[in-house]
Amino acid sequence: MAYAQPHPRLSVVSNSSQSSVDHLSPTTTSTRFSLPSAPSIHAAVPSKTATNRPSIYDRNLNKTRGAEVSAASFAFLFSEIVQYTQKRVSGINDLERQLNTLGYRVGTRVLELMMWRAEGSSKAPKREIKLLSVLMMVHTQVWKAVFGKPADAIERSVENPDEYMIIDNNPPIERHISVPRDMSQLSCSSFTAGIVEAVLDGLSFPARVTAHNTPNSQYSNRTTILIKLENQF
Amino acid sequence: MSHHLFLLSPSDTPLYSLTHQSTKPVPSVTSPLASNLPTWSTSAFAGTLTALSGASSATQHTSSGAVRVGGGQDRHVIQMIANAGLDVIEDVMRKETAMYLKSVDKFNEWTISAFITPGNTKFVLLHEGKNDDGIRSFFMDVWELYVKTMLNPFHTAHSAIRSSVFDNRVRASARKYL
Repeated sequence: MAYAQPHPRLSVVSNSSQSSVDHLSPTTTSTRFSLPSAPSIHAAVPSKTATNRPSIYDRNLNKTRGAEVSAASFAFLFSEIVQYTQKRVSGINDLERQLNTLGYRVGTRVLELMMWRAEGSSKAPKREIKLLSVLMMVHTQVWKAVFGKPADAIERSVENPDEYMIIDNNPPIERHISVPRDMSQLSCSSFTAGIVEAVLDGLSFPARVTAHNTPNSQYSNRTTILIKLENQF
Repeated sequence: MSHHLFLLSPSDTPLYSLTHQSTKPVPSVTSPLASNLPTWSTSAFAGTLTALSGASSATQHTSSGAVRVGGGQDRHVIQMIANAGLDVIEDVMRKETAMYLKSVDKFNEWTISAFITPGNTKFVLLHEGKNDDGIRSFFMDVWELYVKTMLNPFHTAHSAIRSSVFDNRVRASARKYL
């Protein structure tokens, strides 16, 4: 019914009931997805309080600025993500690509929110348009926003000038993961690679980003995020 | 004085649009919603020609006998001007680091200002007259609302924004600053 009038503004004109407008608000988008549990949640809430529920637009974006997520709950969630994904793919490459896609969704939000927090109160907000400053921003600001610490190194490939590497000696998302020997190719940091790819894409430096295990004697979890730029800048 | 706002995704698909009748120069009540809706011309080409020739003050009789102001009031003309501005915006955004690009393009009576979010979403505003500070404040408000929309896990960078809360907030901000 509600989708006959895709624009909420139009449905206001027709003076239709509040409920048809509500259908389109983000709080009830679950109606679009046939999640079996979703309707029961809404049924439990009396309709009056449902309309008064604070939407995301009422929240202050700086409220959770310094908040940290429990490492234990993140490790649990991430392990579920990897298991869920592994059941639905054929092979390591596919698994890495799926993790990359999931990371990409996170990355688009990280970029937008991080920049808003940095520049949102400034008189003349700025974007980065130089490749090197974008890479430095990924190395420090993005890593700080996501992992709470800057990455350990950033290098330019000697053989291929369009390749850059960001190195994390002990990536927090892999701290509780030990990859079986027969899957030694797999790097769960593909998720991080997806975040980096989204940030670079957003700032119009499209690149293919992959993650690789590069352990050394000191750090067995050392990971290299390899950035291969699509265009020469 | 009217303002036209368009939100465009990184691949230039329209996400949201708003027409706002400003009350600033002549203080009066904001016109009702119905008059903000597109006024489809019965003779589409006549409207386009009037608009493109720059005859902004010419009035025009439609076949139904109603008199309306020609020149830029037609929805498709507005959209065309906004899309034409995109080329200039894309040129400028490669060189300038500012997110707020004021008056990047002009077409007849319309000035085009734009705001580029870090994720490459473009806010394009068609306006008449100069109001740099007001437009900047308006864009900053829209950016905050857009960031909040983005944080919704069901939203993707390419899905249209249909939230009525978003719409109301943008309208409120437009009333405040434009």
